[in-house]
Amino acid sequence: MLKDITVSCAPHISGRFSTRSVMGDVIIALVPAMLAAGYYFRMHAVILIATCVISSMATEWLCNVIRKKPNSLGDFSAVITGIILALSVPPNLPIWAAVIGSCFAIAIGKMVFGGLGANIFNPAMAGRAFLAVSFGMMMTTWTVPATINPEMPNISAENTVDARTQATPLALSKEAIKKGQRAEIVNEQLKDAITGQVGGCLGETSAIALLIGGIYLIVRKTISIHIPLAVLLSAFVFGSIAWLINPEVYISPVVHLATGGLLIGAFFIATDPVTAPLSIKGMWIFGCGVGIVTMLIRIVGEYPEGMMFSILLMNAVTPLIDRFCKLIPAGGKPSAA
Amino acid sequence: MNYELKNKQTFAGGIHPKSAEKLAKDCKIEPFPVPKQVAVMLSQHIGAICKPLVKKGDDVKIGQKIGETDAFVSAAVHSPVNGKVKDIALQSHVVAGRSKAIIIETDLENNPQKQLCKDKFNENFSAEKYSAEEICNAVNEAGIVGLGGAGFPTRVKLEPNPRLPKKTLIINGCECEPCITGDYRIMLEWTNQMIAGVKLAKKASGCSDVFIGIEDNKPKAIKTIIETLEKSSNNEKIKVVPLETKYPQGGERQLIKAVLGINVPTGGIPPMLGVVVLNVATAAAIAEAVVEKAPLTHRVVTITGKTIAKPANYYVPIGTAVNELLEFAGGVTEKSAKVVLGGPMMGIAIADLTTPVTKTTGAVTVLTKQEIGKAKFACQQTACIRCGRCLEVCPEHLNPTKIAHAVKNDMLDVAEDYYIKACIECGCCSYICPANIEVAGYIKTGKIFLARQK
Repeated sequence: MLKDITVSCAPHISGRFSTRSVMGDVIIALVPAMLAAGYYFRMHAVILIATCVISSMATEWLCNVIRKKPNSLGDFSAVITGIILALSVPPNLPIWAAVIGSCFAIAIGKMVFGGLGANIFNPAMAGRAFLAVSFGMMMTTWTVPATINPEMPNISAENTVDARTQATPLALSKEAIKKGQRAEIVNEQLKDAITGQVGGCLGETSAIALLIGGIYLIVRKTISIHIPLAVLLSAFVFGSIAWLINPEVYISPVVHLATGGLLIGAFFIATDPVTAPLSIKGMWIFGCGVGIVTMLIRIVGEYPEGMMFSILLMNAVTPLIDRFCKLIPAGGKPSAA
Repeated sequence: MNYELKNKQTFAGGIHPKSAEKLAKDCKIEPFPVPKQVAVMLSQHIGAICKPLVKKGDDVKIGQKIGETDAFVSAAVHSPVNGKVKDIALQSHVVAGRSKAIIIETDLENNPQKQLCKDKFNENFSAEKYSAEEICNAVNEAGIVGLGGAGFPTRVKLEPNPRLPKKTLIINGCECEPCITGDYRIMLEWTNQMIAGVKLAKKASGCSDVFIGIEDNKPKAIKTIIETLEKSSNNEKIKVVPLETKYPQGGERQLIKAVLGINVPTGGIPPMLGVVVLNVATAAAIAEAVVEKAPLTHRVVTITGKTIAKPANYYVPIGTAVNELLEFAGGVTEKSAKVVLGGPMMGIAIADLTTPVTKTTGAVTVLTKQEIGKAKFACQQTACIRCGRCLEVCPEHLNPTKIAHAVKNDMLDVAEDYYIKACIECGCCSYICPANIEVAGYIKTGKIFLARQK
């Protein structure tokens, strides 16, 4: 009656999630941020995103060929790394630097550890950190959005030097802290920071676009709410403390949340499942760690931002957090083990 | 102990498998025609394997005991038909691979179809005229085991144990798996018989509280049972507890957590809390065994699947081959890819369709290639992306991915350290895994390796 029947281990049905669908959801959630980047930075956004995505995928393919492993591009994780890297670099970053960053992100950030699932650090953040320490100047020069300056510089390398640049809200804040100046000017930029009309990294400027994407991910259950909530809450609390102590020098905590990659970090980078803890308790510790370290760097440290380093730092302690947050079975620990 | 009862109680974790439809939900329980041949397994339960009481060539009658042992944890087997013993030989066994069975050729001329005995009970049934000992003996003679799937001898559960006095009886009306509808139909159609069985079990075990836990996707069953209990002149304070619809709500430990709000200790068993859990089908079998003196020779089996012409719930003689069931249900089409004894979550896929139905076979589920391959990335695994979904759904609050990877890398000590033995093998982790890793498969393998080490 039946010729070919399959025999395998139970269960015989599976849920709606697949690695590809999880990654695909993240890409969909990044669309609003990419559109905002395209609106504010025009061709810069298109070229940077395309460069990072293509070079990430090419690097992953090449690494698999060298390692004689099956092609793993189908899981879309390289695409996400490319997009996130592109969104977290300044709009006028030269193309060759973007290529180097993507290659580093995939090859050293991910593939040397054994590919998807085995990497310790978020690949995009590893790539960005590499760029930040190698090409410090380029990584801290921000073009103003096209909506303020219609004559955006050309993409060609010689023009970047002349580009009209603008300090980011957080760079201004850092200056205010260092010189003891008033931070009011930064607080006034809040409205622009929410829509995205400020200087900053390609995809970090528009808070509203990032929020839409983040909420989409939470509604689709692609990410759980714990990490973003922990990051935002802890950053808010820490920022509020500083602000309450001296509201003249320190910027308002709301501005902290809306600027400098805190949202993209909270929703898209810290939630990278591979490099975040497994248990809910661990997620809270991880998220609070990211939020507090970020605020420490911003308020006390040398860098104006800090999302990147805090995420990398917490990535490094993730295995420890996992070990610390060992789950206890529903029935308690076995009495005679 | 005082148990607080809230509405729609449940446990933490679990999944809602939407793709699994209850196709046979509205199909009445029908008697299955007497098959030409049955193969009665000598091991259909947890415990010692029976020794045959008949030999090749013997004539056997319906209900005749054909296998038993002296072991404490075991249950006798009986012939479901009149006929002649053709052979005592190895047969494909759903759990044990191959095991000894008594193969009986049916005497087709002289073989009445077994009639349902649900009409012999009414709502005013009283267990008073039977003593606890009588009930336990009848259950033992009838060879009743847990019909929900585990197959633990019911007598062992019911018998008074001076060290662990029993206090609470929970009747499992949750349906252990999605797709299966046999218990639901029993609650609807055999309501009086089932409640009579519950009363007998209460009497035998000496429990003072009785709860019937039913998932809230079976409102008709909840209503029918509550109405029957209200009509009854002696309802013995049996309470119906509606539970949230979720898999594995029918798991013993999850059911106890949902109904009583307490966790069975890891590595412990329900009697340690004074709790006895019985399936509704088992309760119905107890009633039949005590009142009609009829042994357990038939059981309700759900035949379901998208490629089955007529999904149905049959009252099947134990020992009937699976392919006869499928043929009677209208046959299956070419699209079928997997035949599973049990439900889609914990059932066992069989390769040999002549495998006979045993006391623990609650369903035959036929799955299509589409269903088994759904949501799979080119039908292949990716590496674990550490998303933590398996931790979220695990009803026992374990770390399935950690245990699975420990087993995969031959680190059984780590697996034990992460409580591999507390796994109930419900399969939620494999179901939810986006990377298509057979998490539950690895854990089961690890448990077998650990058992071999000892």
